[in-house]
Amino acid sequence: MVIPAATRHAPRPTPRRQQVTRGYRVFQVFNALALTLVVVLTLYPFFNILARSFSETSFIRRGEVNLLPKGFNLTTYKYVMSDAVFWNSYKNTVIYTVVATAIAMVLTTCYAYVLSKKHLKGRTLLIGIAVFTMFFNGGIIPQYVLISGTLGLRNTIWAIALPNAISVFNLLVMKAFFENQPPDLEEAGAVDGLNTYGILLRIVLPLSKAVIATMVLFYSVSFWNSWFAAFLYLDRKELWPVTIYLRNLLAGAMGTSDPGAASDVALQTAANIQAVTIVLIATPIMLVYPFIQRYFVTGVMLGSIKG
Amino acid sequence: MAVRATPAALDQSPGSEVQVQATSTPSPVRPRANTWRRALRRDWQLYSLAVLPLLFFLIFRYLPMAGNIIAFRRYLPGGSLFGEEWVGFTYFQLFIDDPGFWRAFFNTLILGSLTLLFLFPAPLILALLLNEVRTRLLKRFVQTISYMPHFLSIVVVAGLIFQIMSIDGVINQALTALGGDAISFMQDPGWFRTIYISSEAWQTVGWGTILYLAALTTIDPDLYEAARIDGANRWWQTWHVTLPGIRPTIVTLLVLNTGTFMAVGFEKILLIYNPLTYETADVIATYVFRIGVQNGLFSYATAIGMFEAVIGLVLVYTVNFISRRTVGTSLW
Amino acid sequence: MALYLPRPRLSRRRLLAGAGGLTIGGFLAACGGDNGDSGGDDLSGNRVGAMENYGVGDQFKATEPVTFSILMQDHPGYPFNPEWMFWEELTKRTNVTLDNVVVPLADYNDRRGVMISGGEAPMIMPRTYPPDEEQFIAGGAILPVSDYFDLMPHFQDTVNKWNLQGELDTLRQQDGKIYVIPGLHEAPYLDYTLGVRTDILEELGIPEPNTVEEVADMLREMKRAYPDRYPFSDRWSTPPQPGANSLLAVLSDSFGTRAGWAWQHSHWDGTKFVYPGAMDEYRQLLEYLHMLVTEELLDPESFTQPDDLAIEKFASGQSFVISVNAQTVVEHRDDLEALGGGATIAKIPRPVGPAGMITFTGRRENGIMISSEARKSENFVAMMQFIDWLWYSPEGKMFAKWGVEGVTYTGSVEDGTFQLAENIDWAGLNPGADELLNADYGFFQGSFVYGGSTALLQSQFPEEEKEFQQKIAGRESLVAPPKPLTPEERERAALWETGLRDHVDQETLKFALGQRPLSEWDAFVSELERLNMNEYIDLINGAYERYQEEHG
Repeated sequence: MVIPAATRHAPRPTPRRQQVTRGYRVFQVFNALALTLVVVLTLYPFFNILARSFSETSFIRRGEVNLLPKGFNLTTYKYVMSDAVFWNSYKNTVIYTVVATAIAMVLTTCYAYVLSKKHLKGRTLLIGIAVFTMFFNGGIIPQYVLISGTLGLRNTIWAIALPNAISVFNLLVMKAFFENQPPDLEEAGAVDGLNTYGILLRIVLPLSKAVIATMVLFYSVSFWNSWFAAFLYLDRKELWPVTIYLRNLLAGAMGTSDPGAASDVALQTAANIQAVTIVLIATPIMLVYPFIQRYFVTGVMLGSIKG
Repeated sequence: MAVRATPAALDQSPGSEVQVQATSTPSPVRPRANTWRRALRRDWQLYSLAVLPLLFFLIFRYLPMAGNIIAFRRYLPGGSLFGEEWVGFTYFQLFIDDPGFWRAFFNTLILGSLTLLFLFPAPLILALLLNEVRTRLLKRFVQTISYMPHFLSIVVVAGLIFQIMSIDGVINQALTALGGDAISFMQDPGWFRTIYISSEAWQTVGWGTILYLAALTTIDPDLYEAARIDGANRWWQTWHVTLPGIRPTIVTLLVLNTGTFMAVGFEKILLIYNPLTYETADVIATYVFRIGVQNGLFSYATAIGMFEAVIGLVLVYTVNFISRRTVGTSLW
Repeated sequence: MALYLPRPRLSRRRLLAGAGGLTIGGFLAACGGDNGDSGGDDLSGNRVGAMENYGVGDQFKATEPVTFSILMQDHPGYPFNPEWMFWEELTKRTNVTLDNVVVPLADYNDRRGVMISGGEAPMIMPRTYPPDEEQFIAGGAILPVSDYFDLMPHFQDTVNKWNLQGELDTLRQQDGKIYVIPGLHEAPYLDYTLGVRTDILEELGIPEPNTVEEVADMLREMKRAYPDRYPFSDRWSTPPQPGANSLLAVLSDSFGTRAGWAWQHSHWDGTKFVYPGAMDEYRQLLEYLHMLVTEELLDPESFTQPDDLAIEKFASGQSFVISVNAQTVVEHRDDLEALGGGATIAKIPRPVGPAGMITFTGRRENGIMISSEARKSENFVAMMQFIDWLWYSPEGKMFAKWGVEGVTYTGSVEDGTFQLAENIDWAGLNPGADELLNADYGFFQGSFVYGGSTALLQSQFPEEEKEFQQKIAGRESLVAPPKPLTPEERERAALWETGLRDHVDQETLKFALGQRPLSEWDAFVSELERLNMNEYIDLINGAYERYQEEHG
């Protein structure tokens, strides 16, 4: 059962010596077509949003902006980017995302590792404790009272970072990855006198770059995009993340259907301010992906401790 | 070499567990009488890693759960957090007697099943297709593009759906160009499910591949080598090496998705349905929203929430049980 | 699949489910029980900062600096800014500092509900739309403000001067008390109506329509001249249902029923409450809509399309009629100007129908809730005086709306000399000015500007809107009597209301679009009966009678 570790994590070799059958060639053509279709279908709305963000309001209003900007201008970009509130929110988002993701990674990794140990007594119970919370929760008001009142976390970063520190979904995915790793390296570590912490830090984690990258991506994207906790627990505008900024714009633009507020001024924002804000918010997090993607494409290279 | 066709990590037989225990822990004792005291002494370091996460669950998940008691008590917003008086199963009775609830319930079941049927396998297939792409740059490109819809706000996606499906929209333009009649898609209950599922597919399939692609990197390349030596072609390799290699991930996702299949996309449906499509589009979430939000009927909503939760738990346990029995892999 | 995505979805379960939780001493304090002594109760411990003699015409100024917490919206049109001149001037005038709990407008109501339920409600909660306050009453978290109206001389004066007692009474609850201080208008303010391409009217020689028939005729003429398009494509179909909500609300007044934004679950017919969806007037409204749709005068997508699409159709000349308010008509005008070709738009008077010159638009609007906790504050009396001054005194209203005389405006609204300062714009009054009254100064915010005199209202309109308001003046505003429910009744009513309304919404669109023939009207009414319509209306009428006996 023991597999030589040295080659286990080499990158997936391309089938050099394998003869390429006709069937496989047909498949390759089909595959290329299918993927091209996916790309085209996916891209259209993004070009549309980009085009809108650079277009003049009147063209957008008349539905004339499709794939290319009309009446090219940067006015709204300048407007949003010169808004100090926007940049302050942006800064908050970055801080919240980094801190929350760090906490989430530590807690999730620890628990997932524990859960992946099949021999552990009480393991089923520990899994049950997590799974149960996917279905039952206390609802928003008890949560609010707890976090805002009892713990006094209102208007602090901890109200954002702590309550969602473990996503059970991510936890179980990570656990599945750990289970999938052959035990022999850990065994070797134990033989070398490493304790559990050492095994986790020195052996398991370096072997798990792909899943760690995935989890960092999942968590950071979810914290980056999250607005609900911020909406609930932050009532100082200087603490708000940028998603609240965007949400207010979008929800307002969908029509507040509020006939009673007749004395109130309706939205006077440029028609492309949503597009601009979407672009500005989504771009950084999308740029992170290619760096993380490396781990999915090349696999994990690692020298073995066995040597 | 034949042994390698079954990766050690996937071997779920009791024998391998014993082996893991015996070798990965300092204690050489085969724990026949597996008492807590012995488990603690042997694995205290492992347990210590669970302390913080358990605290998290206790404080942020289990403490607030006491609030569910209001499914059985009359709750008044601004009144006692635990409700004012016992009402037994009144709120359960209320929704069980309510035909509106049952329509929403069956719509939820159907949409959930369709989602599971189409959107669970789709990312897996896309990941396998991507895995066959030889050109690394192309592969990266397709991947990067395909996950992008995930970042779009649902409000934006809903706007796009209306644009595309409207009478003058792209699809109707194509239909009329082909000599057909324009269809008012958004007003036809017969089309709602198709529209919902395809827009979900558009938005989620690319992102869903990320987990599979990560899982694919953990497959031992030796296994492919072995398969090739045995003369296996690409199909055979996919079927006998790739798929078993990512089986734990597939099963984990399947179980989790089954368990939460009642949780269909509330916000999106709210944005794209209308009274004409209630017949197929109204799900439990939107129904409770219409009843509950304006009226503050928290007790009623909690009762329905508990009902959903029980269904979810039963489903998770069932699917997990079945998959353990049939494919030998499970969540726990 | 939902599960792959840790993306932020508004989780309905998170919003609604579970409201129990931890027993935490302080947070139960806001809960019922200790309000029994309210009503002519002892305020001697709550007068810190209050003025000894405060009456009509007096400027409120706290005798010492005081701070009140307030729920503040962050409006995307004028994002909240602590540096606004409004705050500074407010403190200068009243000695009051407002401690703002800032909430994004999009989720204002949700956040308010959570804070009240969690026992952390700010003292002052503006922008509460009745009947939103009702759900919080039984829990004891909000103050029966009517017990303290005697602390509010300007408010009382306004009610008497404009004869608003009837309007106020509709807010009375089961105990005969009022829980929200409403904004008060001198006359009903009718804003929403149809916007029409006036250049097309001229081109075709059609006079401005005044009645529902004339509107239909106008659309027919347009259709004749431009057979390839729907002359009328409407907006405001996003939730709440059913769609074309502004059009339905306008037609409600014409036909004498309730629909769209004007929907009520019960309608006062002069002697008793009836269910609007089953009224013959509702059927007439549907027949009218159905006629517009079958003659292809009204775009069937009007009931379901998002606003952007409707605006696109109008802006590109594919349609000539759309629902508008004073604000959107200006935006449409900008769009049309960009289109070129001399396209123009104007509001037409709300079309009069069989019901005559009436409106169900009342003379009160959304208002202020006060948390029960505020009553315990030593500054409680000062707070009520402050609210009275800022929201109800002519000086306070003028300040909240137009700012500081000589700085942001000159003249007076009463004699018509009012002028907004040249460098400041509001809603196109000073096009081209580089500063905005709301976004840059913090005046004219939704939280502080409610109702007021007709003169004050007129001051915010350009000439065009003043003319429009004159055209539609003189409509009788009909008011229904109070019919408060007990908490148990409200629960039952909410379930019935939802079932009934869902069916009405669904069938309204089917009837209008011709998916169901109007010959099935009787069948529709019996379907409503099966959904407990009669039981529901009996409950409402019972509540009305009970109230008459107890408080009438």
